[in-house]
Amino acid sequence: MGAEERVVARILERFPVLEGRVFIQKQQRVVVDYLVRRDFEKVLDFLAHDAGFTTFHLVIGVDNGDALGFIYVLSNEENVMLLLKEKAPKSKPYISSVCDIFPNALWHERELVDLFGAVVENLPPGPRYPLPDLWPAGNYPMRKEWNPAYLDKKTMTYNPPAAVDPAEGGESK
Amino acid sequence: MNQRITIPIGPQHPSLKEPGCFTITLEGEKVVSAVVGVGYNHRGLEKACEARTYIQDMYLIERVCGICSHTHSTAFCQAVEALAGVEISRRAAYIRVIMAELERLHSHLLWLGVAGHEIGFDTLLMYSWRDREKVLDALALLGGNRVNYGINTIGGVRRDISPSECEQLRSMLDFIEEEDKYFIDLALHESTLAARLGGIGRLSYEDALRLGAVGPVARASGVPTDIRVIEKYAAYDEFPMEVITDEHSDVFGRAVVRVKEIMESIKLIRFALDNLPDGELKVNVPRRIPEGEVLSRTEAPRGEDIHYVRSNGTDKPDRVRVRAASEANWHSVAHMLEGDYLADVPIIIAAIDPCYSCTDRAIVLDHRDTGCQQVLDWEALRRYSVDFYRERGFDAKSIKIPERKIIR
Repeated sequence: MGAEERVVARILERFPVLEGRVFIQKQQRVVVDYLVRRDFEKVLDFLAHDAGFTTFHLVIGVDNGDALGFIYVLSNEENVMLLLKEKAPKSKPYISSVCDIFPNALWHERELVDLFGAVVENLPPGPRYPLPDLWPAGNYPMRKEWNPAYLDKKTMTYNPPAAVDPAEGGESK
Repeated sequence: MNQRITIPIGPQHPSLKEPGCFTITLEGEKVVSAVVGVGYNHRGLEKACEARTYIQDMYLIERVCGICSHTHSTAFCQAVEALAGVEISRRAAYIRVIMAELERLHSHLLWLGVAGHEIGFDTLLMYSWRDREKVLDALALLGGNRVNYGINTIGGVRRDISPSECEQLRSMLDFIEEEDKYFIDLALHESTLAARLGGIGRLSYEDALRLGAVGPVARASGVPTDIRVIEKYAAYDEFPMEVITDEHSDVFGRAVVRVKEIMESIKLIRFALDNLPDGELKVNVPRRIPEGEVLSRTEAPRGEDIHYVRSNGTDKPDRVRVRAASEANWHSVAHMLEGDYLADVPIIIAAIDPCYSCTDRAIVLDHRDTGCQQVLDWEALRRYSVDFYRERGFDAKSIKIPERKIIR
């Protein structure tokens, strides 16, 4: 049994409900499919404290349409990279900070706040990262609907065109 | 009771050519806490990648960093090639390795000079940057440019290495090997260097793991992590490799690891030149990349470089995430600074080798009278520089460099 199979077996032994949602992507890569916050926290706690995934590499924020995805990349001593995915609805993007387990996740989580508009609870205080202080509030540039063409860099305001009423045929007069 | 003073250093840092803000709290001259502030250089590159095709993204990705440009483009290419299900030829893989190791030679020699400058050892800066010029010339020979070589393309490489170029590379390597023997001797035995660098910027083995340090910073704390060995990407599976580690866990250890890695890179390039296989340079990759996601890793001169690419079946990626090595190492800096003196702050920060860019080699002269432009190539620029100083009574050839001595 290879290192990847052992990881999958270990996770499924502890969480049988994840059957079919944990898979080997390729050599040295194991993926745990999107989990909601409560389930994600249980799996992360198990991986970090009992399954030997003690190295945190990064968090990747993704925009999946109605939901935001957060892919936490961890690895163990056998160099298996685990992509643990969490999802949260775009309207209520609440997630918990993992800084208590992995202190080096701090800036990655601040990036999720600035670029994706995630609300990271229990995130240690500090300066924002990476956007400037005068960045317009409520603008999350890595969300798919945000278009850099509508940002006025002189006034630092975001001015999307007014929504067109389909009943009027969408043509300006 | 000692009064605590908080000093903001930056955002225009005196020791770095890039903006970074370090809020240092001092008790006397000792640092009690440090807050690192970065983000001034965020260019929205990941968002820009989503609006462009994979080939156009190559140009952006090469410019993530001036010095590590090849390793970034390699990581990105590997990700897209994996998504497209293509395998590059062995010759292309070998050429990628040669460029990656030349880039490492360049980066480590550059760092050695910066470190020398930070501690007032400017002779070391002059020596190592003189040698670095040879490596830059070799990179320009192969890639046509001193930085952003443009060697990589999705599916392989864009330029071949001819037998005459191999010979020129070998003679450059012979020169750098002799110089590096001196640098290793200097790092290991020069008493002033050891006295200045030893014991500062400490990062224990446990802290290196806890704070996610990568590359030479982690290896200098005894953590044997090297993505070239772990992932065996490109052609590294065929190369005999030794991971250089050190137990000093301080700035001195980081210097030792880097000068020894220069020697290791020379061995790898020689092995690649001796065993360069025949084959195509590039395999065709479809413009539309099938849906999927890949996490690709490479070992940059500064450590682990991670690229995540998610495709959606079109010719543009759905998401690109770049985590450069410096991004991982900044977490350790605040910890390293605590307990050290204010005077040690620049060299401790410089010891993680944070990124900064190199200038282009060609300049454009505007003739005010005629209005015409003249582009100088590297040789013409060098001649222009030599003549400029000679007219003013300074002839570089007349200078006699004294024999180098090491104070043991």
